[in-house]
Amino acid sequence: MYQLSDQQIAFILDDISARGIETDSLQQDLLDHICCVIEHGLEENGDFGAFYQTVILTFYKKELREIEEETALLLTFKNYYAMKKVMIISGVVTVFAFVVGSVFKIMHWPGAAILLTLGFVGISLFFLPLLFIFKIQEIPAIRDRVILGLGIFSGSLYFLSMLFKVQSWPGANIMWFSNLILSFFVFLPLFFFSGIRKPETRLNTIVSSIVLLAVIGSQFTLTALYRQAKEATPPVVTVVAPAN
Amino acid sequence: MIYSSELIKGTLKTIVLKLLADNNKMYGYEITQRVKDLTKERIQLTEGALYPTLHSLEQEGLLKTEIEYIGKRMRKYYSLNKAGAAKTKERISELTDFINTLSFLLDLKTKNA
Repeated sequence: MYQLSDQQIAFILDDISARGIETDSLQQDLLDHICCVIEHGLEENGDFGAFYQTVILTFYKKELREIEEETALLLTFKNYYAMKKVMIISGVVTVFAFVVGSVFKIMHWPGAAILLTLGFVGISLFFLPLLFIFKIQEIPAIRDRVILGLGIFSGSLYFLSMLFKVQSWPGANIMWFSNLILSFFVFLPLFFFSGIRKPETRLNTIVSSIVLLAVIGSQFTLTALYRQAKEATPPVVTVVAPAN
Repeated sequence: MIYSSELIKGTLKTIVLKLLADNNKMYGYEITQRVKDLTKERIQLTEGALYPTLHSLEQEGLLKTEIEYIGKRMRKYYSLNKAGAAKTKERISELTDFINTLSFLLDLKTKNA
């Protein structure tokens, strides 16, 4: 029986990933399967590279990606690819609208409001909800699904509240504060304590939690600065010249 | 004789469910080997058919999974939950009925010919 080294396992994982297997759980399933085939089929002093190339060919008709596509098709819906396209396009449009809209806003050029609205709406009502639909397929545990849902909802609310603030629409402050409270007191503790329990996600959870904490903290600071700036603004005094 | 994938496709979910019902928990490679052994290699499940099916059954809420670490790699064991056990019985009963109907139909055709 052949013994695979850690480097060989890492090589297989990289290769199946490069061949178009993107879903984590499918990657792990295939990795274990390929490792089993090699361990049972290759002699102790056999040629790993040559044997792997033979084995991987038996996994598909045209390309390995077929397994990913077939899984995606069964897991989601017939319009999976259309939705994925919409998600990618909405992501690209959002980034473009944010960058160009911000430049327009700084330069006081017309069209800034339309671009920024497009960006905020694109990310909160298209990109993030679609990301949720695709990501939830990869997560079997209900608790993890709830955490993902809370994170996406919080992200959407964050961008929507920014849109309301930029446009000076009513309700912006309520949305902003409720989102800060939701993300700080509900989402972040759930995310942290859920991820820290599993050894394989511990490090990622700590790093992501610190980043999230920094982002939420900076939003609190921004809120405080915004209030200070508002209070410090002198009242507008209208001087009316006496009539001669 | 190896059966064509078209013939296996419609019964794959039932095959997987029945194997899991008989073997408590199994991982992907184990399933393919068990099918090969039981059918004397006449049915060979491809990875391209097995894993989409397993993931689909999991999403339908019929399977539960367990992760075991083997060094740096992860092994996912699949097993039936309550809903899966009930579904297995339903599927097998449906398939048995279908096989009976099919053999009756084919017998009739043979006789007519």
